[in-house]
Amino acid sequence: MQTPRTSRPLLNLPGWLGLPVLLFLALALFYPLGRILVLGFTEGLPVALTNPYYGLRLAWSLAYGLGSSLLCVGLALPLAYAFRYRFPGRDFLLGFSTVPFVLPTLVVAMGFLSLVGPKGVLGLNLYGTAWVLFWASLLYNLGLVLRPLVALLPALQTPLAAARTLGASPLRAYWRVGVPLLLPALLSGGSLVFLYSFTSFGVPLLLGGPRWATLEVETYYALAQRLAFPEATALVLMQLAVTLVVLTGYLRLQERLALGIGGYGSPLPLAPRQAVGLALLVWGFFLVLYSPLWNLLWRAFERPAAWLSVWNSPDFTPGSLALFNTLGFAGLALLLVLPLGVLYAYAVWRGYRLLDGLGLLPLMVSPVAIGLGYLLAYPGWRGSLLILIAAYALLSYPLLGRALLPALRAMPKGVVEAARVLGAGPWRRFVRVEWPLVQKAAFSGMALALAAIMGEFGATLTLQRPEWATLSLAIYERLGRPGALPFYEAVVLAVVLMGLSMALLALLERGFRQRGEF
Amino acid sequence: MHLARWLFGLGFVLTALLASAQPTTLTILTHDSFSLDKNLIAQFERQSGIRLRFLKGGDAGEMLNKAILSKGAPIADVIYGFDNTLLSRALQADILQPYRSPELSALRPELLLDQTFRAAPVDFGYVALNYDRAYFKDKPLPERFADLASPEFARLLVVQNPASSSPGLAFLLATVAAFGEDGYLDFWENLRKNGVRVVGGWSDAYYTHFTRAGGDRPLVVSYSTSPAAELYYSEAKPKPSEPPTANLFLPRSSFFQVEYVGILKGTRNLRAAQRFVDWLLSRPAQENIPTQMWVYPARREARLPEVFRFAAVPPEPARLAPQQIAQHRERWIREWTQVVVQGQSAEAVRARR
Repeated sequence: MQTPRTSRPLLNLPGWLGLPVLLFLALALFYPLGRILVLGFTEGLPVALTNPYYGLRLAWSLAYGLGSSLLCVGLALPLAYAFRYRFPGRDFLLGFSTVPFVLPTLVVAMGFLSLVGPKGVLGLNLYGTAWVLFWASLLYNLGLVLRPLVALLPALQTPLAAARTLGASPLRAYWRVGVPLLLPALLSGGSLVFLYSFTSFGVPLLLGGPRWATLEVETYYALAQRLAFPEATALVLMQLAVTLVVLTGYLRLQERLALGIGGYGSPLPLAPRQAVGLALLVWGFFLVLYSPLWNLLWRAFERPAAWLSVWNSPDFTPGSLALFNTLGFAGLALLLVLPLGVLYAYAVWRGYRLLDGLGLLPLMVSPVAIGLGYLLAYPGWRGSLLILIAAYALLSYPLLGRALLPALRAMPKGVVEAARVLGAGPWRRFVRVEWPLVQKAAFSGMALALAAIMGEFGATLTLQRPEWATLSLAIYERLGRPGALPFYEAVVLAVVLMGLSMALLALLERGFRQRGEF
Repeated sequence: MHLARWLFGLGFVLTALLASAQPTTLTILTHDSFSLDKNLIAQFERQSGIRLRFLKGGDAGEMLNKAILSKGAPIADVIYGFDNTLLSRALQADILQPYRSPELSALRPELLLDQTFRAAPVDFGYVALNYDRAYFKDKPLPERFADLASPEFARLLVVQNPASSSPGLAFLLATVAAFGEDGYLDFWENLRKNGVRVVGGWSDAYYTHFTRAGGDRPLVVSYSTSPAAELYYSEAKPKPSEPPTANLFLPRSSFFQVEYVGILKGTRNLRAAQRFVDWLLSRPAQENIPTQMWVYPARREARLPEVFRFAAVPPEPARLAPQQIAQHRERWIREWTQVVVQGQSAEAVRARR
């Protein structure tokens, strides 16, 4: 017998908890995006569609996304097999592999410029080539595919062994059992890499030159140089259409993936000689892959004068102001991120399904589009700090929310119930019982959100006022300027920014085990 | 509970820090090439009690866009450095408020192009091609404007993007004046095929890509006064008697440029802004402009420094009527972008007009 589903009232407890988040999303995401849609459809698309150039830009963005994801998956798979074994430094490398993902784009771009740029140490100028962009994409995203794969591979052993027992040849067992089991992970990792590369901004803007501009970069050019709002919105529309299709696919895969697979199996032992050989191979690969970052550190100390001049340079934003702005804005944004992230996690935890997907959306829309949307939607607020802070909060609260959620779900129900039975009110329960239990996850989530804010580049550049220059903008300002000193000052600022993010990550790693979904 | 206290403290500190800005500071949005003598500025600050803060907003076009985008919550009190090619954009965007400075009567009348008194001329000059004399010592120079697109001079020229740079825009307008509405796109298509390099702004072109600065391009779009500036700043001992660079005055390849100052609507320091404009047009500041920004002062009786005898005035600069510029500028920039940056053919772009 079928029981009629009673639709729950919209404003039960999770509804009330989620209301501020929905309200914020409406104001900070949906309304501005709506304005983009309207302008894009009415004025922008006719212009953009008659211009073959934008078709080429779309094609390149797609090729960049697709190429990056194939590259990452293609390299992550053999690496994941290497990581099944125990070798010196294995855990460190595995842990480090996702660190570049949270490094500010400007830091990574500076690393490449200092190694293979026009002023690079190698004397090899890859600036303006597609090679450097694919390399950067690999450096950024490899860990995103690698880590889930390493976690997944041990779980394949039992089904594979079962297939063998039932008489399948190794190849056949792998083809019929292993590959289907791996496929969702490969596809989901691949589509995540696609999303990040397809919408990437800082790296192609700084390293690609006009020839390899992605849609995101082209949007910025149209806006900042020509104030061509309709064209910019049309480009955003093209990008949004692709992103939504891939994102939907990704979320589907995520649901399938969430089943069954958990935890890292312990690595297999290896004879000492083989272990050393494997270590050399894997370490060599990662040293080359990350060489732009090592090089950046090295070059920061090549010209000590830059460490002094950068704080008070007369021609550029002084480093001290940029540092002050970066920390100040991050602090202000945190005042919004904290309630939004906590409310989001609580509402979803208590079963507010609608918010679950919606709340993820900010991670997937492009920061330049957000900036453009704000300029269109709130012309009276152009150039006000509130707009920038709202953009920061929007782009980073899901990171806190997603970090908090697994911790909430893992909370022993009995403890909370016991507190309730013993007479504790909701607020008291939250402060005395729930908060201490999820505190660690909350801090790591905050660190992640803060790192994202401090390195933010696209929205900052779109919404900026010159006196608000953050570290990212102060680096950007110094690039492409004459002389060696501005270049070295940019290197110094990039190292400072990297240091800040790493310090936050150290905080993040403390609560790492409680972080689940990315 | 610790968290709440921590957050409260953080919020308090931030508000205190953000509120500690000085009340009598006047902010002036300028392009990257802005420069005036520090002593002169300090003197003005002492006499007026107004602290000046200069905000560099990129090249002229980019700077003006920033001012337009922040309309309503202006990022500065005064904007200096938009020129006659951008004047109509500034006026149409309605970001300036009128101010009839008493100093206007002392300025050259031909520069007073804005009848609504929202933009006051500060200086003028000529955007012109410059070349590196050392490079062309035993090589022939281009003789006609169209020669720049011939294979003989392939990959020698660096220009600025007219979408973001005012000398870049001035040079684009010169090509429109020289080759006409239809011909200018063909000229640019040929230039592109001939390997012209496009960069964002003047300082990037001159200080990074020009051979004098260690770049690989011996031809650059700059100013007619740049050779004089080269000599003035020369650190060679003894000082050379001639500049290391020279103007390349191909017929109609130079463009007359006037730079303006305006008070941004919504300023809270109107009196101070007006005093600053008066001061910028006064004789001491005007006489400081030539050797700081390498343009001619707008004030009639301002004396020119001695080194300006090396700054020649182009014999036949290109001219376009202000209304014509206002009417077609955006389309010219768009078409230029399609041909030069996006690599489309001039014919295809014209066909879509």
